[in-house]
Amino acid sequence: MAIRSEPFIGVASRPRRTFSLSEWADRGTVFSWLMMAPPILFLLALVGYPFCYGIFLSLEDRQVAQPGTFVGLANFVKDAHDPVFWQVVRNTFVYTIVATLLKMVGGLGLALAMNQHFKFKNMVRALLLLPFIVPTVLSTVAFMWMLDPAFSVVNRMLFEFGVPKPGPSWLGNPILAMFSIIMINTWRGLPFYGITLLAGLQTVPVELYEAATIDGASGWQRFRFVTLPLLQPIILIVTLFSVIFTFADFQLVYVLTHGGPQNATNLLATYAFDIGMGAGQLGLGASVALTMLPALALLIVGITLYLRKKT
Amino acid sequence: MSKSSRRDVLKIALAGAGAGALPWRAKAAGPTITMLHESSFIKVFDEFFQKTLAPNYEKETGVKIVYEITSVGSLPARDSTVIETGSGADISMLALLFPFLYQDKLLDVSDIAEEMGKKQGGWYDVGKEAGMVDGKWKAIPFSNIGQLMNWRTDWFKEVGVTKFPDTWEELYDVGKKLKAKDHPFGFELGHGFGDNHGWLYPLLWSYGGHEVEKDGKTVSIDSSETAAAIDFARKFFKDCMLDDVLSWTDVSNNKAWYAEQISCTNNAESILWLAKRDFPDIAKVTDQALNPQGPKGRFHLMNSITHGVFNFSPQKEAAHDFLKWLMDEKQLGAWYASADSYYQPVLKGYDNAPMWDVEPRNKPYRDAMATAHLPGWPAPPDRRLAEAVAKYVVIDMFAKACSGSSTKDVIKAADSQLREIYKAA
Repeated sequence: MAIRSEPFIGVASRPRRTFSLSEWADRGTVFSWLMMAPPILFLLALVGYPFCYGIFLSLEDRQVAQPGTFVGLANFVKDAHDPVFWQVVRNTFVYTIVATLLKMVGGLGLALAMNQHFKFKNMVRALLLLPFIVPTVLSTVAFMWMLDPAFSVVNRMLFEFGVPKPGPSWLGNPILAMFSIIMINTWRGLPFYGITLLAGLQTVPVELYEAATIDGASGWQRFRFVTLPLLQPIILIVTLFSVIFTFADFQLVYVLTHGGPQNATNLLATYAFDIGMGAGQLGLGASVALTMLPALALLIVGITLYLRKKT
Repeated sequence: MSKSSRRDVLKIALAGAGAGALPWRAKAAGPTITMLHESSFIKVFDEFFQKTLAPNYEKETGVKIVYEITSVGSLPARDSTVIETGSGADISMLALLFPFLYQDKLLDVSDIAEEMGKKQGGWYDVGKEAGMVDGKWKAIPFSNIGQLMNWRTDWFKEVGVTKFPDTWEELYDVGKKLKAKDHPFGFELGHGFGDNHGWLYPLLWSYGGHEVEKDGKTVSIDSSETAAAIDFARKFFKDCMLDDVLSWTDVSNNKAWYAEQISCTNNAESILWLAKRDFPDIAKVTDQALNPQGPKGRFHLMNSITHGVFNFSPQKEAAHDFLKWLMDEKQLGAWYASADSYYQPVLKGYDNAPMWDVEPRNKPYRDAMATAHLPGWPAPPDRRLAEAVAKYVVIDMFAKACSGSSTKDVIKAADSQLREIYKAA
């Protein structure tokens, strides 16, 4: 901290000081605001503006290349009358809920396994992140080949177990197609859960386990009454992020099935894109995309309140 | 924190911002026209533009042409961005219904189109369908990337067929025999864009069905003709095809073709083009044919490519002049020829051009032009039609029937979807 060396001079008798930009910028509050301004402006420009513009668009009958007219909630009413829209909403919820649960359970298992001591532990932990690191488009193309009836390693294995050729049509059957995209999303999202929960696990004091063991707690009881309560805040935060990512997923479906067969894998993000970009109906597309908002907002507010209450 | 270190942080931040702004100052001088184009499947086509056409124009006029290539599938998003921001390109390749969606932002290029028609043998009717909006040419039709029948001559021969079947029913009979011999057909029924529309619209039309009447208002999908087309598609799928076609996107049938998994499909010329390059043995037994005919005739899809000039471009006159030069027979003919016949001209003057002799098996793509239409025909192309296409109404109507839903139910679902789309605006 700089120390003022000049003697105090009364305001009335002090000669008028000239304004110094460097000193002004050096003041604590000004400096902190100057540092805060870029990220705030960045957020306003790249998150706030598109978000508000999206809401504005959804209230307009707005076709690309034409001026829009305000129509209130007409786009949302039109969505409500569209049976495909409801199918897409259902798909998005099924996809998000099942994939998130699988990632949560699998991620916890993964974290518990990775928390043990074994050879090449660090290398295995690093390798675990691979699905998360590989670009989604690239890994999805790999899955496209793996699920292809002609080249499928999956069907090849099933054939070895006696399933007749050509085997299940993983992406052609509506139920199997949804199952497939959920599995791929789980594969991709598992490391995020696993590594984050592993970090949480490592903060649990060993003494608590020792105390529980002395009290006669079994392995399950140690997990149930020590590990789980201490991990809960991290599980909730990871779940929050995971739900947001999964709910708004686009790339996987766009590359793998483009929403087919017969919209069985169409999600809100892909459907909104087709309407907004494919058909040039920017207003209607924005209204489809914005239907994600209430569900996500409720979840975010709910989890945040719960966490605040806990702490 | 000391005084100096705070200042240093600010200095570094300001210096960074200044450096970021540098490219703005380094803007090139002189007239430059930017033309936006989707990456071509035929690489030499793009290269010919970049290495020959653009430099030639610059030499003749001093105007620099920037050929901006976007990846396949990203053109609608890129065009929308250019239009919404009013900057980024002066001319753009447009596909299918774009000239109708973007009509208010496109320059009237009737003078170019009419002169081309006069000098280059006249337009096919479908040229007007693809580029003319309310009596004015808003885009210059460049080509069709036709979707026709590709068939394995060796396997067809195994069941005694040496000439491609003339009707859908005849094709069905052959397909049934070939599936029994483990050589099924593969026609896309999923959410791709070209290869599903490429056969399903022509099938619907050839049975007399259509989504909306010519008036652009009356939804007409609920008809006995549509029902007949759906009933045919269902048995065609069940008895002739692989189950997986329900999930196929546009790459899937090519993959299956080169894996020698299917004996017949509907695709652009690219399937033979790539086979000749990478799978010569398959190329030898690949042939191509017009779509079969149904009770109401033979039809093909106009998978159109057009070019339009943006009317908000500050250089629209220069862009117009460039497009006029580019569409002159001398340039246009050479550009077509660079890609053999992958881009089929919509002008009759090219019907006997040497490009068709490079690979005679491509000639059906030329002959398809007379019976080609845009998706949604005979309804006039507009935003509602674009919405119906983007929502895969017709594709999913057929796909649901093939998955086991009744003809009545799938027509009812498509009818209610179309009525909802056509009710608005």
